[in-house]
This record gives sequence, C-alpha cells and structure tokens, in this order.
Amino acid sequence: MNPPPAENSPRTALGRFFFARETPYGMALLRIVLPLAAGVPMTMRFPFVRELFTTDGSPVQLFEMFRQGSVLPVLTPAVAVPLYGIMLLCMLTSIVGFRTRTSLWVTTVLYLYFNALDGVGTLTKYSVIASHMLLLLSLSHAGSVWSVDAFLKKRSGDVNVLPPRFPVWPARLVQLLFAFIYFGASITKIQTAEFFSGEQMRYWMLSDWNYENPVGEIVAMSSPLLLISAYLSVIWEVLFAFLVWRPRGRIVMLGAGAMFHFMTWLTLGLYVFPAICLSGYLAFVSEQDILRLRRISVLRPIRAAIRLPALAVSRVADIFPQTVPAGVVWICLLAAAAIGATEAELQMDIYQSRSEAGLLKLMPIDRDIALTMLRDKTPVREHDKFFNFEIGTSTIGYQLSNRRTDYSVGDTMIAQCNLNPPHEDMWVECLLQDDEQRTIEQFGQFVPRESLRANFFYTVDSKLVAGRYSMVLKSANQEIYRRHFSLSGNSTPQIFDVSTN
Amino acid sequence: MATSRNHGRSAMTRLKSVLVIAFIGAYLSALSFGTVAHALKVGLCGNTLSFYVVWDMFCGWTAWDARTHLIAEGASGQYYDVRAPWGEFHPFGHLARIHHDNTNDLLPRHIQNVLRHTAHEPIDRVYTIEEVWPKQYNLPPGLYDEHFGRPNDKLSYYHLRAVFRDDGTPMSIYPDWHAKQKLQAVYDNPRLRRQSANATSLFSTLYNPSQARAGSTLNTSMSAGLSTN
Repeated sequence: MNPPPAENSPRTALGRFFFARETPYGMALLRIVLPLAAGVPMTMRFPFVRELFTTDGSPVQLFEMFRQGSVLPVLTPAVAVPLYGIMLLCMLTSIVGFRTRTSLWVTTVLYLYFNALDGVGTLTKYSVIASHMLLLLSLSHAGSVWSVDAFLKKRSGDVNVLPPRFPVWPARLVQLLFAFIYFGASITKIQTAEFFSGEQMRYWMLSDWNYENPVGEIVAMSSPLLLISAYLSVIWEVLFAFLVWRPRGRIVMLGAGAMFHFMTWLTLGLYVFPAICLSGYLAFVSEQDILRLRRISVLRPIRAAIRLPALAVSRVADIFPQTVPAGVVWICLLAAAAIGATEAELQMDIYQSRSEAGLLKLMPIDRDIALTMLRDKTPVREHDKFFNFEIGTSTIGYQLSNRRTDYSVGDTMIAQCNLNPPHEDMWVECLLQDDEQRTIEQFGQFVPRESLRANFFYTVDSKLVAGRYSMVLKSANQEIYRRHFSLSGNSTPQIFDVSTN
Repeated sequence: MATSRNHGRSAMTRLKSVLVIAFIGAYLSALSFGTVAHALKVGLCGNTLSFYVVWDMFCGWTAWDARTHLIAEGASGQYYDVRAPWGEFHPFGHLARIHHDNTNDLLPRHIQNVLRHTAHEPIDRVYTIEEVWPKQYNLPPGLYDEHFGRPNDKLSYYHLRAVFRDDGTPMSIYPDWHAKQKLQAVYDNPRLRRQSANATSLFSTLYNPSQARAGSTLNTSMSAGLSTN
C-alpha cells in the first residue's frame, strides 16, 4: 500500500525545488512549441537531404571539425531520407502529443544525429539548445496534458477529472539550462575584446550573414546605443540565474530575456535562435500560472479557441475504432512518413540525375572575371583601412557619443577615426583647415596595429574667427575624410604685438 | 486520500529516484564543466562534446565581410563557377553553405560533390578565392551618405586561398586574407626581416641526441648556408 502523498513530499528546499509535484503545463507548452520552432528549419532542409546528410552529398561532421575523425556513420540516401522523414513526422506527433514519449525520443536521437552530421550548415547553437530541451522533454511527462495521448487515455475510461502531477525536475533542468546558457554567454562577451566598446556589435549588425536587419544597420551607427545595450545584456545574463526563481525576479528576467531575443531578431536578422529560446521560456510556466490564467475572465474566448484542436482530435480519433491500438497507428504513420519522404526526395531529384537531359552543366564563368579574381594583387586602399571619421565633444566608453557641426570658442573638439582591423602600424594626421583649405593646425600620431581608433583633441581658441572650417583626416599623405564645422562667436580678428630682438 | 491527485502511483521507486538524482547530477555537472572550462579555457581543445555545453555564441566578428568563390579551370582553359547548379542551400540567411565553412573542412567535399554531379569537361584544378570588403559598404545608400559623407566606392579584394584537384585533394593552401594582412604588417619591418634571414631555419633538425648516441654521423643539418648555434 502506498504511503499518503504528504509523507512523500520532499523535506528540503533543494528536494522541493526538484521534486515538488505539479501538472507539467509548462513542459506541455514547450512540447507544443519547440518542435515547431526546431522543425521549420529542418523541414526547409528536406529538399537538400541528399546533399547535406548522405554519402551522395557533402556532409561535414562536427567531430571532423574538432579533428576527431568521422565518428558518426554517414548513411546512404536510401536509409537517411526515410529517417529524415520519420524525424519530421515525430516532431509533428510530439506537437500534438501522440505517442509523445516515443516520438520525443525518436526526434531527439535523429535531431542530434542529423545536426551533428552537418557541422557547417545545420548545427549551430540554437540546434544545440533545442537538442538539450528535446532530451529533457523526452524524460518528462510532457504528453500527459494537452495531448492526443491524454485524450485517448480519457476515452479509454480513465475517469480521473484532475490532471496528473509529476515531479518538476525536467522543467527545472530546462530552467537551469537557460541559466547556464546566459551565464556562459556573458563569459564569452566578457572575454571578447571590443565588445564593451561597441565594435563587435557594430560589425555583426553590418554583416550580411543572416536575414535582413534594417534596424540593426541604424543601431550599428550609434555608439552610445551599442555600449549601453552591451552592458545591459551582460548584466542581465549574469543576474538571470540569481533572480529568475524569485517571484518578481522571474517576471523581470524573463521579460528582459524576451526583449533581448526580440532585439536579436530586429537588429541581427536572427529568426530561429530567438524562436527556440523563447519556446524554452515556456518551461518557466508553472501550475499556479495556468490556474491564475484560467481565472481571468477576459481570456475565456481564447480558452474556447484553444479547445478547437482538442475537438478536431476527437473527430479524427473517432475515425479509428478504439480496438486499433494507438501504437499500431503510430507505426503506420512512421512507415507512411518514411515511404513518403523517400518518394518525395526521389521526385525532387536534386541532382537531376534521372532527368532526360542528364546531369546539369557546370556554369562557365567569363575568363576576364575569373582572371581578375585569380590575379588580384590590389593593395588595400588607404581609406578602406578606416571605418569612419567623426567630430564631436564627448565620448562614452572611448567612442564618440555625439556628432557636432557647430562649435564655440572654448569647446574641446574630439576628432575620432575608427579603423578596420587588421591594419599595419600607421601614421595618421589630422589637419584643421579654413574654408579656403589653408592649413591652420596639423597634428599627427602613430596608430599601432592593435589600435581600433585614434583621437585628436583640439580646444577651439580665439585664434580662430567665426566661419566655416574643416577637420581633415590624412593617412599616407592621402586625404581620407573631411568633416566640416562652423565656428560661431566673435568675428573680430586677434591682433598680436610682435616683438623683435 | 481525497487529496491524492496522482492516481495511486505517486511515489517513485527507490531505483527510479536514484537514477533521476544521478541524471540531474550528471547533467548539471556537464553544464558546470562547460561554463568553467570556457571561463578558464581548459579541457576544450579537441573535445567535440564540449560544443554542447560551451555557450560561446558571439565570440567575435571582423570588420571585413567575406565570401568564398570556387573557380574550376578546365582542360580547354575555360573557367567554371563551381556552384551547385541545382540550387544552393542557404542555412542561416541568404548566404550559401560554403560561405559558412570557417574551418575549410567543407571545401574539398563541396568541390567533389559539385563536380561529381555536373556535366563538364575534365577539370585541371579548382581555385578557392576569398573575396573581402569593409563592412561599412553594406549600409544602405541613405545611411551611408548620412554617416560617411563620401562616395560608396566599394571595392572587393580577392585573395587566392587554396588550389585543389578535381577530386578535392588540396594542392596548395595559403593563409587566409586576415592572416596574410597580419603577417605582412609584421614582415614590413626591416629589422625583423634581417633577423629572420640570419636565423636558423625553423624546420631543420640540427642535432639528434639519440642518433648521436647510436653512433650515427647523420645527425646534423645538411642544408648549406645555415648558421648553427
């Protein structure tokens, strides 16, 4: 006879943290959303399965990139393609919660395998995070609520009206996973030179490596924004693990995280990474959260809408007689997915090897273009060694924080040039010229190869009169940039008494 | 009891409890190892599985944008673009997979795969060209004009990175463009050039103690013109 549940509840805080019992609503939500977020990019890879993951293509394993050889078996298309189809189907059955645990295990194993097989074009940190979460989902009872399995269990005569409860440790491990991810990411940023001066973020936002990011291109040109966001992101990442399990801290940390990931979409053009991370936040949803949401009357129409999938499932399930075991249906679906994937891939015939015209031709390239690329010995132009040249009066984190074109006597002007590494040791000059390009002042300095910027300070004194001037940046005796500014104030020229010997 | 909500199967067996606790301990230990190893830079070199516990997203970006071009030279002298004619896969945006090959492990296989699945004349060699340009030229015209006040005269620089046979076997490999720029900056120093010219070669065995003990006379460098210590 089982002891009463009260005697089984953990006695220590750590025990309650991992083994308190709750209905796994959070993990169920994660089960619904994560395979969708991870499945979309894998579905996009299906037309290229043969090229990316089989012996008839060009897979590069993660183990090879770490110089440990080909540890994973590379399968022929006849085996890999149906397995890929099975993986996609199991992601779908995980979402709807049909044969949930088995589906999740199959998904986890195949997802890990296919991602590790293509270390160049498939495996990336978002797929690593997704792999962790899939593993923890496989160990959880994520299919016990809001799932086809739960519906079938009810239909088979399980009369318990209350949802089941299980120890929360899988959800806790997902939560701890994010704590480690963010803390590790903060260490990466702390160890990366030029992160806190904004250059690294600027270079990433200006890269054309991900999807379009027009907002990022605007932000990239604002050093104060880059610096402030750099510090805020690191502070949030460090504090996450210490505040996320506190009642109010959870709201703040998860809210900041949602904003952070939203900004990575907006400024960096990342789509899948924020989707997967935000799906992981669903593991923070507790039983109490769902009970609170259910009491909010405004959400009742949404609850009615959410019941529609359950209604659809019940209609579909009615097609199958109850005498047909769910496992048999699932196996049949797997077989259909394997056959369907094989047939679809054969029809796609990515290499066109079965077409009447034969293999596709290699595209010729214009000889002049080819030779231009092959023989290019063009030295780097002097102005390509510089990112920009600006004038202002204040800095934040060693970066110019304002751009000014109007000055008064007494202002200290900062003329700053940012360089594009790698560059050699340079001699860089800054000239102050009037509107007729007569040189008034000239300053120069060495900029060693490790420097990313150089500053020239000039205090506007009464030597100048009101009018238009220019600060000119020169390198290797070439004018690189010219910045105009106006001087306001007293236009009376200064008269000097000249003493003679 | 009326408060029982776990269908009479509430308690885990002792074995299951031990396994769960062991898994939690192992999992958290692995994550902790990743964080500590990443912070202290230990235990990561050559450790493939560390990729799953080290969170080094955003570990640095360069000021130059880069693309990889593969040009095949046919026996007739015609040049070809070694690009998948069936369509390139863009894994993380609008760039083909070959451009994400930071470790150059994909290059030989990509060449082999494309040449194997396309119709073409015999190929003598395949050149890998690196195209680079400063990232400020990626700005849209309006933003560029606002911030730089000079014409957007983007110029790409091309750099020969490697030469392969048609089966992907490397024939020549050169430092990448960034490494070449750094080497040139160091080499552009007359004092260093003079010292390296007078120094002992890096790749010569001058004296082999074990062979000398064995009585071998072939234990000194045979290269002419080298100074010895």
